[in-house]
Amino acid sequence: MEQINEYFKIALRNLRTRSLRSWLTILGIVIGIFLIISLLSLSEGVKKAINEQMEAMGGDMIMVMPGSEENIMGMMVGGEVLEKQDIIAIEKTKGVESVLIMSYRGIVARYKEEAKMVFLTGLPWDESLELLERYQGWNLLEGRWPVPGKREVAVGKQWVIDIFKEKIKVNQEIVMKGRKFKVVGILNSLGNKSDDSNIYLDIGLYQDLTGEKKGSARMAMVKIEQGLSPDKVAEDIKESLRETRKRRFGEDTADFAVITSEKMIGVTNNILGIIQTAIILFASIAILVGGIGITNTMFTSIRERTREIGIMKAIGAKNSAVLTIFLIEAGIIGLVGGTGGIVLGIICAKIVELYTQANPLFYFSISISPGLILFGLAFSVLTGSISGFFPARRAARLKPVEALRSYE
Amino acid sequence: MKTEKIVELKNVWKIYQLGKVELIALKEISLEVAPDDFVTIMGASGSGKSTLLNMIGCLDSPSQGNVVLKGKDTSLLSEDQLSQLRGKTVGFIFQEFNLLPNLDALENVMLPMIFQGILLEERKKRARDLLISVGLEKRISHQPAELSGGERQRVAIARAFANDPELVIADEPTGNLDSTTGKKIMEILTDFHKKEGKTIVVVTHDPHIADYSEQIVNIKDGEIIVNHKQRGEVLWSK
Repeated sequence: MEQINEYFKIALRNLRTRSLRSWLTILGIVIGIFLIISLLSLSEGVKKAINEQMEAMGGDMIMVMPGSEENIMGMMVGGEVLEKQDIIAIEKTKGVESVLIMSYRGIVARYKEEAKMVFLTGLPWDESLELLERYQGWNLLEGRWPVPGKREVAVGKQWVIDIFKEKIKVNQEIVMKGRKFKVVGILNSLGNKSDDSNIYLDIGLYQDLTGEKKGSARMAMVKIEQGLSPDKVAEDIKESLRETRKRRFGEDTADFAVITSEKMIGVTNNILGIIQTAIILFASIAILVGGIGITNTMFTSIRERTREIGIMKAIGAKNSAVLTIFLIEAGIIGLVGGTGGIVLGIICAKIVELYTQANPLFYFSISISPGLILFGLAFSVLTGSISGFFPARRAARLKPVEALRSYE
Repeated sequence: MKTEKIVELKNVWKIYQLGKVELIALKEISLEVAPDDFVTIMGASGSGKSTLLNMIGCLDSPSQGNVVLKGKDTSLLSEDQLSQLRGKTVGFIFQEFNLLPNLDALENVMLPMIFQGILLEERKKRARDLLISVGLEKRISHQPAELSGGERQRVAIARAFANDPELVIADEPTGNLDSTTGKKIMEILTDFHKKEGKTIVVVTHDPHIADYSEQIVNIKDGEIIVNHKQRGEVLWSK
């Protein structure tokens, strides 16, 4: 054990005497690990944010949105709406207990001197408040619910935390599109920062403000009767929507996405899974290149130090001692590179996080698990050791007399 | 008659294959090094004397014949066993000093002891004592680059004696030094021989160096020509 300690010191000193080259080799590993840590912690954070949002919507919900199911992003941000007839068709479908419609869009809200882009959500307040309270756990932190017909809004909990520099209070006014609105209520947290950053108002008021067609909605959330299969009801909703459209336009192609919450989580996780696989793949290539860098540096250094190896063997170093010293050198390169990459990766992810939180359209926190850090460290040390193995073995196998004969 | 030999070379040949040409470096060499000897191997450059020295020090293996170190046939030992035995029994001094440039004087002297698993405290003490005995008490923590040639060779001598070996072999130890410094180095070696009874084998082409030793082996074209005691009895002659 004491010997390992000494070999460690020798290895460190060897690295230090070639410090520029050592650092350049380390940089190769830093870049690879940096990519893995920053991108994975970001995508993991996005995944968590989306899952939280889905859970906040409640278990057995079905979402109905205009647009193709194949194009989830387009569906979420696209401009199409559900017509009044569509909504009626959904309500009439067998197995549907209640329907909550809503519309949403980004809008610039002004409070005192500050302006921020926020999400505006319109809900039919009269009909949906009970649903929201019962199934989604909405309740007020302060104030009261807005009254339809008045220019009143409720805001999420994040508004009293950090949306504006000056925290908002009940009965103060915000300005949207040049019109004043009174904040009458502040909601308790809905479970995720994204929802907590919204402005909620009556859908009538929303449509006045945004110019969206009266009676339509961007999305419908369907609560089904207890004991029924969400998939079956989703099929039925799709069928009745298709019939409605056919009757009205004579078209057969209905452009609706009817998605159960379970499926939604599955789909987003799938997409993020693909993104993460791609990240790992590309970062692995970067690390592979870094590893080749280590191998190259080690081979060069063995060539330069052949004589030293000969000396060490002449004065009694076993093959295993030489092998150990060189493996430690490669391992240190990997470890330092990995640590550097992890630190840089976390810093980079934090910066992205701060940037997105300054702009509350989409709230998420990066997710840096101890597992991810451990994985980064283990991966880099392993890369170092594997890359260093063949050079180290060659060094160990040198014959002392031949090694001594070589001149630098 | 001395009983236990340190190294015995029995009918050793060393043949290098250079392309299609065979180069015979050593031819039918038999030689014994016994405790308490001070042997000088002399010969012109290219005579095979360094190859012979590498055989005695078990750094090289013969093409034919046997090298027996401390009663053990080295061809039967594994590489690691041989390293271990060599590290314990034989110390090396080279013409080019061959210190490790990254380590200071003390660490260079401690290195052979690390490979023998000697503990730090003992290592430090012994290395320090050795450096003092070669007159380098003021250079203990200097890097080789900060030392003169003579000082470097003295560090190398201290290193050669680190594991208290029975045999120290020196390949042209004064070859890179001026004559005054060379003389000093030879005096230090002779001192180790006389005071501590170390067995020493020196290779040189300098007849003055031979004056320090008790036994001289002359080698030419890979063969021993004559092996005789200083100013006296001829042990073997061709």
